[in-house]
Amino acid sequence: MRTCNALLVLLLGCSSVLAQANAARPAGSCGDCHQRVVSTQPMTQMGRAMQLPGDNPSLAAHPKLTLHRDPYIYTVETQDGQTAYSVSDGKRTLSIPIRWSMGAEAQTWLLEYNGRFYESMVSYYPKIQALDLTIGDDRLLPTTLEEAIGRPLVSEGVTTCFGCHSTHAVADDQLTLQTLTAGVTCEHCHTGASAHAQAILAGDTSVTPPSLGEMSSESISDFCGRCHRTFELVVRAGWRGPSNVRFQPYRLALSKCFDGADPRISCIACHDPHQKVVRDTVFYDSKCLACHSRAASHAPPHAKVCPVAASSCTSCHMPKTSLPGGGGHFVFTDHDIRVTRPNEPYPF
Amino acid sequence: MIRVRDTPRRGSSTFINRFSQYACVLVAGCILLTAPRSLVAQTTSDGTFADLSASADSAREAGDVARAVQLYEKAVQLNPQWALGWWYLGTLQYGNDAYGAATDALTHYLALTPKAAPALALRGQCELELGQYAESLRDLEQSIALGAANEARNAGILYFGIARDLTKLGRFEESIAQYTVLIRHGVRSNEVVNGLGLAGLHMATLPRDIQAGQQELVAATGQAAATVLSGDFSGGRQQFEQVFQRFPAMAWLHYFYGYLLFETHPREAIAQFQEELRIAPANAIVHAMLAWGLGMQGDYAAALPDAQKSVEENPTLGLAQLVLGRDQLETGDVKGSLAHLETALGIEPQNLEVHLALAKAWSELGRKNDARRERLQCLALAEKRAAPDANM
Repeated sequence: MRTCNALLVLLLGCSSVLAQANAARPAGSCGDCHQRVVSTQPMTQMGRAMQLPGDNPSLAAHPKLTLHRDPYIYTVETQDGQTAYSVSDGKRTLSIPIRWSMGAEAQTWLLEYNGRFYESMVSYYPKIQALDLTIGDDRLLPTTLEEAIGRPLVSEGVTTCFGCHSTHAVADDQLTLQTLTAGVTCEHCHTGASAHAQAILAGDTSVTPPSLGEMSSESISDFCGRCHRTFELVVRAGWRGPSNVRFQPYRLALSKCFDGADPRISCIACHDPHQKVVRDTVFYDSKCLACHSRAASHAPPHAKVCPVAASSCTSCHMPKTSLPGGGGHFVFTDHDIRVTRPNEPYPF
Repeated sequence: MIRVRDTPRRGSSTFINRFSQYACVLVAGCILLTAPRSLVAQTTSDGTFADLSASADSAREAGDVARAVQLYEKAVQLNPQWALGWWYLGTLQYGNDAYGAATDALTHYLALTPKAAPALALRGQCELELGQYAESLRDLEQSIALGAANEARNAGILYFGIARDLTKLGRFEESIAQYTVLIRHGVRSNEVVNGLGLAGLHMATLPRDIQAGQQELVAATGQAAATVLSGDFSGGRQQFEQVFQRFPAMAWLHYFYGYLLFETHPREAIAQFQEELRIAPANAIVHAMLAWGLGMQGDYAAALPDAQKSVEENPTLGLAQLVLGRDQLETGDVKGSLAHLETALGIEPQNLEVHLALAKAWSELGRKNDARRERLQCLALAEKRAAPDANM
């Protein structure tokens, strides 16, 4: 798969968000008016999609992590808020400072070495509280210490990583790290939010970011899919099999019930991007029953009512799926909503 | 063992020799396994046929190609069901440069053993020599589907054949895709490089037929393109700059460079398309690619004028219809987009991008069953598309 996928996994796949998110993170002046969302968004997984040195609770809690992958030994060591990623073959050791940690809890590191960017060969997984191979890297067989650092990224891969895990890090396809803000902040999605804020201060209410709420479900999938991967992107890349369970807009588009013109089935119909992801399956029942209920008003024709249960719909119809190989430390909810059968192969 | 040629020629004989050895075993096995009992009885009880076939085999083994051909021709006239005879006749005629006769013999052979990948591959080579490019393309593609390219060197020859067919058929971008596979697997002979140059310059010519006055242009273009395709963008840029300086008014050059950059350096690609249009302003393909590039950057509104020009210049161009449909779809004219996308579908029913756009259009219109049908079609097409270089 393309570069940066593992980083994307971390963006998407953490099991919970630490409560001690950086509440002090500047959000411009958006919070002056939009206090409710600005107070919660920085603590979401998207808000913490990237962590900078000195603000990394996972690494602070695990000051020395090691993994032996013959013949290399990987060490991730944190001291006084600074972390170094080291790889050694027993004779020589390369040590690279970690500047960008991708992921709210589980983390892969974007490393800069000799003018090149690498996706770290090993990642931190909270489920095992240890290092393991980065997802997708199990087939990499480095023959030199430099190769053992990780997967070298082409420029497009680098901008993709920074573009999704941070804000203001990419302009016109070029890295602009001097303006980087870690994580997904207001202007990442609400283009023009700063100009809007300044205009408001000047008494001008006419300058507003495009309204995302008016987008169709199809367009919202495309919008979120810029990072979470659209149907088109996954198809063009030919990513088939269980690994693509990470790409929710793609999976959702495959669902029989997905209707790009119906606001009841869209990313934001179920998820508020300004709030932490809700893990309780019952929470989502009302979303399903908006159509799949005899009481549902304006239910689409042929919307069936479940003969088995009236709650926890997602537990059956959106099965949990583990990533193959080294990705076993992650379980994702499959957004291809369907009637599942025992032992059926993973579709598409 | 068959000796098809005494001396290597145009790089094919090694392949054919190996190919023939493999085919002999395959064919013999097929006959023993599949020939009807009556046929076996006939071939053993008919003295004339038995004598002829034995003599033909002896002549072939002795290297007396002319006599072997004569005898095989008589033998298969007596017994047209003798598949092995047709095969030997086909390979010997190929060795004689008698491509028409070889094609005829292989056609008879394939009528008896339709899924014989080596015979399809060899007939495809013959048809390429005869200038029957559509037939050649069909046979070569089918041979690959049946496993003829399972060995890397054979794969190289077959993909090169397909690339040349596509160039002659004017399907230049598809040809470039085949050359890309070859270059990325280290195949960089002069013929391949020149073939790549021809495809990039939209010249429907075979590498061996390049006119003397175009040799330098084609070779330099091919070399620069091969450098880009092998991942050396800096070196490729330098080489292309040199070509631009030497041939400043040459059409298709900037387009070709932009096309090669499109996936990895989309903004540079767009600049190259714009430069191409300064040299040759009325080019539907370049207008379409420019619009497509702008669209992929998310700037569909800026793309729309070029998409419209593209359709005006060539309404029968599937790409133009697709791009205009896509731009209309993305700028809010969903219903308007359908006419162009449906037209594009009629022109290129297997084009993944057309189905992707249609899926989105139907979805936006709330026609979820149509959208889903298109999405499933997209998955099927993407799976087919994934196969080409699996064995390289």
